[in-house]
Amino acid sequence: MEGSIIDILIFAPLAPILGVMLFWFIQLLFIESEKYLLSKIRPKHEPLCRFTNFLGILFQTISHALGYTVTKSGISDFYISVEYGKVAPKKEKKGAFEWISNAFLFIGPFFIPAFLLLLCLFLLINFDFASTSQTLELKYTFGGQITAFGIGLYSFTKNFFELLFTLDLLHPGHLGFLLLLIFLGMGIRPSYIGEKKIEKVDMLYELKNVWNLIKNKPSYFIILFLIAYIVFYLSIFFNQNWYVTLFTIFGWLSIISIISIIITNLILYLVKTTDDIPRFWKVVPFVILPVSYILLRLLFLYYPVDFTTTISLIIMILLTVIVTYILLYTKTNKFKFKLGIKLLKKKIKDDTDERG
Amino acid sequence: MREDELLNNEKVEKVLSPHPLSFMGYQSLCIFLIILGTVIGWLVNFSDMKELFENYLVSITVWGLVLLIVGVIASLITIRWRIFFLYLFIFLGGFGIILWQGWQDIVGVVLPFYTVSVSIIGFLIVELFRRSHKYIITNQRISFKGGVLTKRERTLRYDKISDINAKQGILGQIFSFGTIIPISQSGFGLGSDSAQAAGGVMLGEKKVKLLGIFGGGKEVQTPRARSYYELHGVHPYKEIKKLVEEMVQGSVITPYQQEQVAFQKEQVDIQKQMRDLLKLQAEGKDEDGEDKDEK
Repeated sequence: MEGSIIDILIFAPLAPILGVMLFWFIQLLFIESEKYLLSKIRPKHEPLCRFTNFLGILFQTISHALGYTVTKSGISDFYISVEYGKVAPKKEKKGAFEWISNAFLFIGPFFIPAFLLLLCLFLLINFDFASTSQTLELKYTFGGQITAFGIGLYSFTKNFFELLFTLDLLHPGHLGFLLLLIFLGMGIRPSYIGEKKIEKVDMLYELKNVWNLIKNKPSYFIILFLIAYIVFYLSIFFNQNWYVTLFTIFGWLSIISIISIIITNLILYLVKTTDDIPRFWKVVPFVILPVSYILLRLLFLYYPVDFTTTISLIIMILLTVIVTYILLYTKTNKFKFKLGIKLLKKKIKDDTDERG
Repeated sequence: MREDELLNNEKVEKVLSPHPLSFMGYQSLCIFLIILGTVIGWLVNFSDMKELFENYLVSITVWGLVLLIVGVIASLITIRWRIFFLYLFIFLGGFGIILWQGWQDIVGVVLPFYTVSVSIIGFLIVELFRRSHKYIITNQRISFKGGVLTKRERTLRYDKISDINAKQGILGQIFSFGTIIPISQSGFGLGSDSAQAAGGVMLGEKKVKLLGIFGGGKEVQTPRARSYYELHGVHPYKEIKKLVEEMVQGSVITPYQQEQVAFQKEQVDIQKQMRDLLKLQAEGKDEDGEDKDEK
């Protein structure tokens, strides 16, 4: 076995934990960007914001209820609305059970939607999970563990992107998966975006919650770490890849969440951009999306080429971007830079002089 | 509301109609048909399983079974068998058209086209029904109007409203619409949910038989009215609810006001008595009406 004893016994188990934390932090950053976009479009798209609020609250409430179920506290009250969700336990349990319930409440909303998507990948779509398993020799050092974790994530991300770029939107299963990806992307945020700016609408609030969870009961947190270390030592003992695999799954969940939030953000950005376009023209980019895709697929049905689904997807996205740009250029004052304005002013002046 | 329909001193506060998404119950039946049409079209024409659907009877059976099973489930959930019969009618219609026109060879095109067409017609009918509704809130009453062919109308004065029931589903919360049911003193606006249970037992074989049936029922009164007798899916919900509540409150006399009215009535009675006395005095009579001079 390579590596020093200290590296193997103390630092190596930390590697996947740090990896998961890093990806979770990136996820939080993307969630922040989504919240920013939502708060920007809220005045004009109140129902959309309420819908995303509902999704967020739904996952939060489900996580909370799951926490009470796992700890056998029972559920006496379950209430969800667009603005507020509440779950009350039948029995108030203290100590470790309370801590676990709270952990579910604070961390669950970040991972449960992604877990549902992972299940969809597994059950509905023929996703290539087999090739995501690492092929390199496993080393029980910090470097070895982080490499194994990284390879696991890399191969999953590669396969996931391959799947996304080969999605056949005329296949009900693939279309359903994409819609689910977008909907769940809107819900991967436990905060509520309301009429007034409140403290809850920021990333620090969520980090503070998690920090309080650790600070209030450090002993439970230490126990969790000890369990992680024990699992790692058992992995070494049996020379099995359990430890990294477990954390790699959490990494996958983060990756799914991040990609899902990115796609949702793109759509929200399109919504925000088209808001500037006047009247019915603002609908045109949203019509271009399905119409161009269907026309392209029909075209490729009669003139078959390789990678039809990928080409159709890319052209669809490009067409939408170009059409939106043209509309913004022709129907609004956007992209009319200094030179253009100068020319316009000169033209107006010339016209006035001519009349004068 | 037309000018001539207004009462004396009546002023229209709001004219409302249901939100486009407030009939989602009916619309979801049409959405399901679109999904079914799309999926069956994909299964028969493009999927890996399309060989299975080469025989037109298989396609029709799968399509019909899914349609009827969903119809039964929806009917059981909503306790409305008309959904099942509607889907049965669609199934028979589709099957009949295919046989009548001899379109067995192009079932893969006909079935999706027929299903989606029926759903579009359904959407149009629902929209027509929605647009037939009109609710007029005036300062004296609420007028409910609705119905595509048969026009129904209900007028409710605020002082006759004994209770207000309001509900808002998830879609309503998102798009800020909701339903307000004003319950009149006569109980108009109330429905009942009933649950019944029955059990039977039969004992004995061949000759001796004993049959017993036990049953029971339970009924719960619940606010329920037809969409043309309630403020169905009105937008903006909170504002309308507040307006109706204020109107009802405005027509109800509070205990303090009741006290004031009783006091004023007492005052009027006293003044009337005084007036009568003064009148008698002026005529030169005592309280019994006899002339003072005669005495």
